[in-house]
Amino acid sequence: MTVAVEYYVLLSMGLFCIGLFGVLTRRNALMFLMSVELMLNAANINLIAFSFYHGNLTGQVFALFTMALAAAEVAVGLGIILVLYRNFRDVDVTVPTTMRW
Amino acid sequence: MAGTGIFSYAPAIALFPLVAFVVALVFGKYMPKKGAIAGIFATAGSLLLSLVMFAAVAGGEVYHETLYEWTSGEITSQVGAEEIEFTFGILLDPLSTLMLVIVSLVALLVHVFSLGYMNAEGETGLPRYYAELGLFTFSMLAFVFADNLLMAFMFFELVGLCSYLLIGFWFRTQSAPSAAKKAFLVTRFGDYFFLIGVVAIAATFGTVAFAGDDSFVTAAETAIDDGTQLFGFDAQTWVTITGLLVLGGVIGKSAQFPLHTWLPDAMEGPTTVSALIHAATMVAAGVYLVARMFGYYALSPTALAIIAFVGGFTALFAATMGVVKDDIKQVLAYSTISQYGYMMLGLGVGGYVAGVFHLMNHAFFKALLFLGAGAVIVLMHHEQDMWKMGGLKNKAPVTYYTFLAGALALAGIVPFSGFWSKDEILYDALIVGLEQPVILAAYAMGLVAVFFTGFYTFRMVFLTFHGEPRSEMAEDPHPVGWAIKVPLITLGVLATVAGLANLAPVAKLLSIDITFLEFWLDGEYGAVEGLTYHDYHETVPFEEGYITSETVTMLLGAGVSLGLALAGALTAHSLYNVPEPSRHMTKLGGAYTTLRSNYYQDEFQVWLAEGLTLPIARAANWFDQTVIDGTVNAVSSVSLFGSDRVKHVQTGIVTNYAALLVAGFLGLLVVLGLYGGWF
Repeated sequence: MTVAVEYYVLLSMGLFCIGLFGVLTRRNALMFLMSVELMLNAANINLIAFSFYHGNLTGQVFALFTMALAAAEVAVGLGIILVLYRNFRDVDVTVPTTMRW
Repeated sequence: MAGTGIFSYAPAIALFPLVAFVVALVFGKYMPKKGAIAGIFATAGSLLLSLVMFAAVAGGEVYHETLYEWTSGEITSQVGAEEIEFTFGILLDPLSTLMLVIVSLVALLVHVFSLGYMNAEGETGLPRYYAELGLFTFSMLAFVFADNLLMAFMFFELVGLCSYLLIGFWFRTQSAPSAAKKAFLVTRFGDYFFLIGVVAIAATFGTVAFAGDDSFVTAAETAIDDGTQLFGFDAQTWVTITGLLVLGGVIGKSAQFPLHTWLPDAMEGPTTVSALIHAATMVAAGVYLVARMFGYYALSPTALAIIAFVGGFTALFAATMGVVKDDIKQVLAYSTISQYGYMMLGLGVGGYVAGVFHLMNHAFFKALLFLGAGAVIVLMHHEQDMWKMGGLKNKAPVTYYTFLAGALALAGIVPFSGFWSKDEILYDALIVGLEQPVILAAYAMGLVAVFFTGFYTFRMVFLTFHGEPRSEMAEDPHPVGWAIKVPLITLGVLATVAGLANLAPVAKLLSIDITFLEFWLDGEYGAVEGLTYHDYHETVPFEEGYITSETVTMLLGAGVSLGLALAGALTAHSLYNVPEPSRHMTKLGGAYTTLRSNYYQDEFQVWLAEGLTLPIARAANWFDQTVIDGTVNAVSSVSLFGSDRVKHVQTGIVTNYAALLVAGFLGLLVVLGLYGGWF
């Protein structure tokens, strides 16, 4: 039995919205990072679903790229969070506001 | 016209004084006479070379050579040339060699005189004085042999700078710097017009050369003949306009009405400098320029009439002011303005020879009078007020008799030099005036001025030398040395006999060929083509009329002017040649005050500056500050204010940025959706 492509899109949308909600409401930088991962995965699901739907592998290759990029991003993100903690003794993203006007 | 033989030394005429300038400036302090010797040798060298050039021109050669090219470029001129060159060049023709001799001679005599006048007084700053004198001579000589209008303009400006430096020689006083500034500013005001004129001529004809086939004079003549339109005017009108623009510089430098006010103030400089300025350099430069480019002015009757009228008016105007002055140098200053008015009158009526003749004679007798006045000032222990003099006649005979020769020449008493040239100018003005009412008016003013000239000249002579000494200084005059006497005697002889150069009336009466200057300027010897009296005379469009016959007109004109000069001298004799002269002028009432105050010219100019220019400048400033700057400031304050509000969007909180991103994305979606017709 094949699942229709709409369901994958719905799942992806749901995941994306959860991730977005997390980015917009959470203060903890780690939660932030996790939410971003959710959004990336939502995109991955979309890519794979459409790749399957159209019957070529391009989307899947792109999903692999995204995963690699996500891993790299987490490495950078964790570095930033460490620096954040070292400077502010906190991982609350609303505290460091010194880089505005 | 090759630069071969003797002519290859021509640049040295001007370079000698330039070297003297450098020497006096650098080593003057260590030299025995503080730079005077260098100056004397340099000007003597210039005089010698000028005489050699003069002789060469008399031998039928002329010299016209470009020495150095500044720059050249393409130009889309109105007529003719497609390429324009700005060059330094030398033009030695009868007119310029004559002037070179005059300038270097007067400069030499002034240098010698300075030995007695400046060095004897324990003056400080002498190296500076001699350096400036050298630079002055250099710039005037280079101006004289300039072969194009741009070079002429450059040295014209340099002459102005030197006069500024020399008038302000005693810069520690209050009046000298102010007079120097005034001279500089007033003449510069005229020079702005000159500069525009140079640019206009260059842009119109694509050349600034005075002589030759590619001169602007030839180009203008062709344009007039072809009926070409230049900048929307017909060619002749355009020649008039550009000619008058150049004339602005002439009016400033030659102290013609209304830019004459600087010259009486310039008396603040040393008297020797006044002699140089008035006789051979600064003031002569203007009139010389008109003579130099006479071919151009000759193309435009309007410009000529304006020159003549301004000249005639200035001659009379300045002469009336000279009548009431008490300072001996002031009288001479007004006389200079008046005499240059005559030269302008002469040139303006097409009397090229007469104008140049008077320029030459005036150089001699005015240098003589100024140096004489300098000698008087030495005699009087530096007193310049004529009312404190008197009775110097017997105590200083050399000064008296040479001064008297100068005075007779200035007043135009036969047979002294001034008579011949002034009479020729008046004759030329009269014959043209009989056909042209405007010129007749100018002639009438010139004629009336003859009376005033005779009067103020002899008033000066009588007050200074005759009668009883009116002060202790006059009773015991300071003796003068050879350095003062030699130049006085040289110039005294010249002022007496220079008229022999062109005895036109005698020549006409007796039908003999003794009008040497006319032959000289007419290219009888050497001449550059197109720059002869003959050519000019053909171009000048004026008709000439006579009263019954040429001889009668001439005798009548000469008789009237001589009569007026004698009448002026005799009036002065009866009023002032008495043991105890009184200030008769005060009896004139209101007229006296007006004359004394120079017709309130200075007040008028100050009013012009303070009452008219200053409010306009203030209004312009207000407009600039409020409207222009206001607009600019308003624009910038809008963006300042706007950015001040907008910057609060930047909170520094990551969440807000993310929210803005999302909101922006959603907004974009909605917009795209609306346009894409999804809803």
